[in-house]
Amino acid sequence: MIYDVHVHFRSEHMMQRLLAQAERLDMVMCTNSINLEGSSSPNFPSRAFVTACNDRTFSLAQQHPERVIPFWYLNPVHGQFACDELERRVKGYRGRQGVKLWEAIRGNNPQVDGIMQLCAEYRLPVLQHTFAEVTGNLPTETSGPDMREMALRHPDVTFFFGHAAGDIEVGAKCALGLPNVLMDVGGNEATNGYTEILVRHVGADHVVYGSDASGRSFASQLAKVFGADLSPAEKERILFGNVQRLFDRQQERDSASI
Amino acid sequence: MIDANAFLGEWPFRRLPYAQPEDRLRKMDALGIERAVVSRLENVFYKDLLVGNEELHAIVQRYPDRFIPAYTINPGFPGWEHDLEVCINDFGMRNLRLHPNYHQYSRLKGNVPRMVEARGYPNYQQYHFLDDQAQALLGKAEEHDLVVLISIGVEDPRFAHWLMKVPSVTMIDAAEAVNGFPGVRFLICGAVFSEVNSLWSTAYHQDNLYFENSRVQGPIGDVDDLCALMGADHLLFGSNLPINYAESAKLSIEYAEVDSDVKQALFRGNAERLFGA
Repeated sequence: MIYDVHVHFRSEHMMQRLLAQAERLDMVMCTNSINLEGSSSPNFPSRAFVTACNDRTFSLAQQHPERVIPFWYLNPVHGQFACDELERRVKGYRGRQGVKLWEAIRGNNPQVDGIMQLCAEYRLPVLQHTFAEVTGNLPTETSGPDMREMALRHPDVTFFFGHAAGDIEVGAKCALGLPNVLMDVGGNEATNGYTEILVRHVGADHVVYGSDASGRSFASQLAKVFGADLSPAEKERILFGNVQRLFDRQQERDSASI
Repeated sequence: MIDANAFLGEWPFRRLPYAQPEDRLRKMDALGIERAVVSRLENVFYKDLLVGNEELHAIVQRYPDRFIPAYTINPGFPGWEHDLEVCINDFGMRNLRLHPNYHQYSRLKGNVPRMVEARGYPNYQQYHFLDDQAQALLGKAEEHDLVVLISIGVEDPRFAHWLMKVPSVTMIDAAEAVNGFPGVRFLICGAVFSEVNSLWSTAYHQDNLYFENSRVQGPIGDVDDLCALMGADHLLFGSNLPINYAESAKLSIEYAEVDSDVKQALFRGNAERLFGA
């Protein structure tokens, strides 16, 4: 089995394609929605927009619990509303789940603290988008150094370092020695040596497969693992074991709280 | 399989696996790639491209059954006509590689306006295929029946080195070449999905227009959609080694929901027809 930690529910049409390929590949998709059917993805989504996105993700996960793990999309700028939205989602869904943060605010901003406390309590992995574009990031986009600060600020939360900053050499250096960070390989071109660079810096226990589908194909992103010069055991941890361990911990907590 | 787009040589900003011929052949064997169309990677950056072309010729001489050379010419650099003659007469050149964005064809002309500030790339000087030297080179390509490989982009420009902010060739630029020379067979290399769609839709002449899939890395169903758009005869398997993992292009075709004979055409048949391989 394969875990994909970075899947977007863009449209019904694309989702059907993803589900069909996931079935063939025996893949489980950690899926978030940062847009509505036919809409773009606003950088600064409103409360109503976020709620509607999560309604969509909830329905999808209910329909395909064997293939879809919901990752609740939140805008930390909404303050208590965002915390309430997360708590409501966690209590309203039985099963594996996580949180998606995108571009509304940098991840190291104290405004994110409330959400992080809940993530630590419920053992929710957090997929934080990060980027290091050579022509410049958006002002509210989380950079590699921002991500490092975020991980250090919230040691009880496990993070998927989204896109590994895009520029993997930046991302790899920013993740050095962080025990609560897993590098997400997804979303950029299948640059030769991509996964080997990450493993060399942080170890195979801290790298996970993600695709950024449906904008990216599974094929191009799986190539980063299948094509990497790594041992079968290392690839197995990246594709499956490292994420399974997280959800096992989450399930232990859920079982204990019943 | 035939790999329609690859390079041999080093990249200045990162150590890349499978850059050298012997390593490459091992990788090709592991993936089932019998032959590869290759250019010298250093010729993205060299001024005197004949040096890189000579190196490529020497490699191909050692492995004539595995590598199909595509020699690189920069029509913006003095003496390109001589380089082309050497490649044709001494190396038996059949395929021509162009890097219009890196080579900045119009750089030596004082009257070419700087166009790219609006695109976020200050100090980068745009070129176009309507330049008289580029036109002359394409005319020579037609005269000698060369397959012309236009490199749209070699790497993801978003994560280039900070001193190498080179945008991809625009599809308007590429269309100028394709539309101006309907008798020339063009292989568009390193285009992403949206660029393939765009150029195919704006090309006046599609019979001689081909694409390879090395940087077509999404969206989901990309190969299916391109086959539906263009027909299966105009898309080829290309790895972009050593810049990209070859597995990306390979898996993209393997995962496509198209008939097995279509996959055969993408992996091999179309390249055999285009390159006479």
